[in-house]
Amino acid sequence: MLEATDLMVFYENMLALNNVSIRCDESRIVGVFGANSAGKSTLMYTLSGIMEDIRKKEEMSGGERITVLGRIEYMGKEITRLKPSKRARLGIVLCPERRRIFNESSVLENLRIGGYLASPKQAKETLDYVFQLFPAIEKLKKRVGGFLSGGEQQMLAVGRALMAQPKLLLLDEPLMGLSPLIQAILVRSTREIRNQTGISIIVTEQYARPVIPIVDYAFILENGTAVLEGTKQEMLGNPDVRSAYFGVEEEGGKS
Amino acid sequence: MDILIYGTINSVSLALMALGFALVYGISRVANFAHGALYVVTGFLTWSLFKGAGLNYALSIALAMLFTGLIGALIYQFFLIRVRGMAISEIIASYAIGLAILEGFRWGGFKGMTYTLPPFVEGSMVLAGTPVDYHRLLVVLIGFGVVAFLWAFTHYSRIGLALRGMAQDERAALMLGIDSDLMAVVAMAFGSMLAGLSAVVLLPLGNIVVEKGYDVLIQAIAVCIVGGLGSWFGAVVAAFIIGFAQIVTVVWWGAHFQMVVALLAIIFTLVLRPSGLFGRQKELEERV
Repeated sequence: MLEATDLMVFYENMLALNNVSIRCDESRIVGVFGANSAGKSTLMYTLSGIMEDIRKKEEMSGGERITVLGRIEYMGKEITRLKPSKRARLGIVLCPERRRIFNESSVLENLRIGGYLASPKQAKETLDYVFQLFPAIEKLKKRVGGFLSGGEQQMLAVGRALMAQPKLLLLDEPLMGLSPLIQAILVRSTREIRNQTGISIIVTEQYARPVIPIVDYAFILENGTAVLEGTKQEMLGNPDVRSAYFGVEEEGGKS
Repeated sequence: MDILIYGTINSVSLALMALGFALVYGISRVANFAHGALYVVTGFLTWSLFKGAGLNYALSIALAMLFTGLIGALIYQFFLIRVRGMAISEIIASYAIGLAILEGFRWGGFKGMTYTLPPFVEGSMVLAGTPVDYHRLLVVLIGFGVVAFLWAFTHYSRIGLALRGMAQDERAALMLGIDSDLMAVVAMAFGSMLAGLSAVVLLPLGNIVVEKGYDVLIQAIAVCIVGGLGSWFGAVVAAFIIGFAQIVTVVWWGAHFQMVVALLAIIFTLVLRPSGLFGRQKELEERV
């Protein structure tokens, strides 16, 4: 479905992504794990096209020089230089890090703004689906986005992204800063979304343990390089990965 | 009673002048300093179509407003989009365009007192002991109509919601497939048409002169600064504060102090509360 080959992203001379190749097949959940500044958000921005917008704006104001090399193919089409709004139209929708809720709009308005690309019928159906998926935010329909808790905001952000009728949903650190209880709800609903709608999902996270049970395939980023990739079983079987990303210390393993 | 009636009329006029400016700034963060010029353009266009080409009055107004909207969109598409994101360049570019338009009119011979538009409805009535002409009452009605329309448009239409999304977080809007460049053009066209609307509504109360362009720009900026840049609600509230302050000044001190009120309002706001009454930058600025 999506295949990115040899992505390289430079901020001035700083290499943020180095020869990263990643793919996601139809109706799969792919995990991308890595520490802070490993390049997860840069990867998500590059795939969703936001990087093109940032690059253009920086260039216009004479700011940082951003270079993007490599090739992104989506459903058999090259989209490496496509505008983010065009990519969203094709079905690549990013649910960004730190959620970026519209703070002054109510929950319902946030969702309706998210439904910009949807037909009225799709918008209505998706709205019902989102409320079924996250009953917690249906009760807060009228509440202003900025007054929601972190977990509620994250549910809203996922719902808002669903309203844009994605075929490939990019979730950038959806669990960041949330309680284990809320994390579990979000992980469960991520799997539900895939199972019920067939949407492919790429999810990034610093800490792999809560997410690994639902992913089909995973990549590990370190300092902008994809150092490891494999299926869930391969990842779980690798002792280095276990200790570094799952927080499971092997007995007699490296300390 | 005089103060209440004429204060309301003056406030609504100010709100009409300022709403276009507030709308464009609120959505695309472009301070459109060509606002006053677009106001005058609509006036002269309406006059040319109505008096010059002999068209129907309503038709001339509609055409002039559409044309002004188009001019606004073109200004954005061909000039402002290149300096997008650089606040100072945007102001200089739009002010330069405004100057070129206004001084172009002056050079082209559009000056003096000969250009007037007739009021929509002739005649006047006495309201609670104060004589008011029908056109001024109509201004108030149209003003409230515009605010109601804007509210409904930005809360219920797809484009309006997208515009509000973009105003709050452009990058998040991009992720949802909202094309920010297109929306900025739409906002600019819409803001220009609002400038045009205020022109055709307010110009029949006076002459169409080039100086009106500067006057309207200053009033619009005063209202937007007091209300808080980017906040439409703030603009309406500020229009009422400045509007009444002006009328009170006129009644107690004299008509020539009217403009001073708007300018003093700018200075006091910038000194006391730089982000205005309902400014978006409030939290950020006050924290810094």
